[in-house]
Amino acid sequence: MAGIELKQIQKTYPVDGHTIHVLKGIDLQIPEKSITVILGRSGCGKTTLLRLVGGLESPDSGEIHFDTAHKTAFVFQESRLMPWLNVWDNVKFGLKKQPCLDATIQNIIDTVGLKGFEKAFPHQLSGGMQQRVAIARALAYEPSFIMMDEPFAALDYFTRNQMQKELIRLQKNRGASILFVTHSIDEALLLGHKIAIIENGQIKKEFLIETDSDERDLLAEELIALKREIIQQLDL
Amino acid sequence: MKKTLSTLAPFLGIILVVALWFLVCRLGIFSTYVLPPPEKVFHSFLKMLKSGEIFQDVIISLVRILKGFAIAFLLAFLLGMFRSLVPSSEKYYNCIVQFFRNVPPLSLIPLLILWCGIGETTKTVIIVLASFFPMYLNIVKGFTGCDQKLLEVGDAFGYTRFEKFKHIILPYASADILVGMRIGMGYSWRAIIGAEMIAASSGIGHMILFAQEMSRTDKVIVGIFVVGIVGLVTDKLFGILLRKLFKGNGENGWN
Ligand SMILES: Nc1ncnc2c1ncn2[C@@H]1O[C@H](COP(=O)(O)OP(=O)(O)OP(=O)(O)O)[C@@H](O)[C@H]1O
Ligand SMILES: [Mg+2]
Repeated sequence: MAGIELKQIQKTYPVDGHTIHVLKGIDLQIPEKSITVILGRSGCGKTTLLRLVGGLESPDSGEIHFDTAHKTAFVFQESRLMPWLNVWDNVKFGLKKQPCLDATIQNIIDTVGLKGFEKAFPHQLSGGMQQRVAIARALAYEPSFIMMDEPFAALDYFTRNQMQKELIRLQKNRGASILFVTHSIDEALLLGHKIAIIENGQIKKEFLIETDSDERDLLAEELIALKREIIQQLDL
Repeated sequence: MKKTLSTLAPFLGIILVVALWFLVCRLGIFSTYVLPPPEKVFHSFLKMLKSGEIFQDVIISLVRILKGFAIAFLLAFLLGMFRSLVPSSEKYYNCIVQFFRNVPPLSLIPLLILWCGIGETTKTVIIVLASFFPMYLNIVKGFTGCDQKLLEVGDAFGYTRFEKFKHIILPYASADILVGMRIGMGYSWRAIIGAEMIAASSGIGHMILFAQEMSRTDKVIVGIFVVGIVGLVTDKLFGILLRKLFKGNGENGWN
């Protein structure tokens, strides 16, 4: 299957005179047109891995191989909005001068639930709203590959739920590939077609979830069993 | 009560100084040549206002400043932009910049007169030198101090180096740039007065020196007042402009 292939990715950072080995040889296949979730504890190197795949940093060793050219968008762990632009202009930020329909932008803003805030500046929004603007900015770019770093972490249960559904719908409609970082097991089970668990700088285990249904029931038996297994993997 | 007092405070200070001045003159401690009484100074001020000669000199000085200031700003901006687009270039000229920053522009007048005569060129160069450095240093500070995390957003969306400059670095730096312009304006106003005293036949600085040669101390004092007031007004205008332009941003709370 086409996609993105990571081979033996290593990454170290110098911190205060000594080096810390964050990634110690990651092998991962990110399949096309599906959602790959990276799951792991805080500080295990999820953001680092995403930055490497996104080309914002380069690995010490190893290879990242893209099968096809991708138009990639990044949703950072922090919202990283331009403070001098309002919501509308921030959403359009990735488009540069590219012509686009106002209706398209409006549609995306409505999707992330920010209707009526088009003219607001980032500091006038709550943290969760800012994060949703950042998501909208990535979507407006019309990417074929989206990297998201805990994008829903700042959202309440209901908004998060709604956004997760939107993401699933969007992925289906556009056939985009998504690399999604989270530390929430439930979120991973809800979204992932593939779940990769990072532990101690390596992919400890991969799970594949193959369902046709759009909406997964977290209380379904298979998912509960899977959750138990994931917790076991993470716990050691 | 407290509020009226605080709004009146600056005026009280002025009144006190003038009263003291008045008193000293009345007591006859200095001759009226050394220190003319306030009423005489005020009288000459009115006369110069009426004849319009004071405006002439002020306008000549202001035009000189605007010319030099515009050139200096352009230079500072372009060099600052170059510095931010090609960071490694800095080590080649930083030393020279630091050297000239520490040379008072007025000390270059003898050389400039030799090279450019006592025409307008000398004065323009003086103003350029005086206002360039505060502007350049502030522009560089703004350009290089840009938030790396925002620049990464540009990288993530495939912005070129120039696009990042235009859409991220420049807006981020705009407040610093304006502050630099404000300081540069103050510096050039100071420098032009000095330059006009040494090498000019017009302008407010020349007027002050000429009045002294004519033993018109009252006119000298009028000149000093005018310099102070015009400087104050231009600075205030800049302050208002800064606030106007950054009204949104000021409220945005990022500056
Ligand atoms: N630029 C950097 N310089 C030095 N150390 C870094 C840098 N970036 C990350 N690290 C280190 O790498 C490790 C992994 O960081 P990373 O941000 O990838 O974690 P994470 O899995 O995303 O955590 P979280 O879930 O809390 O976001 C941490 O120990 C961190 O200290
Ligand atoms: Mg992280």
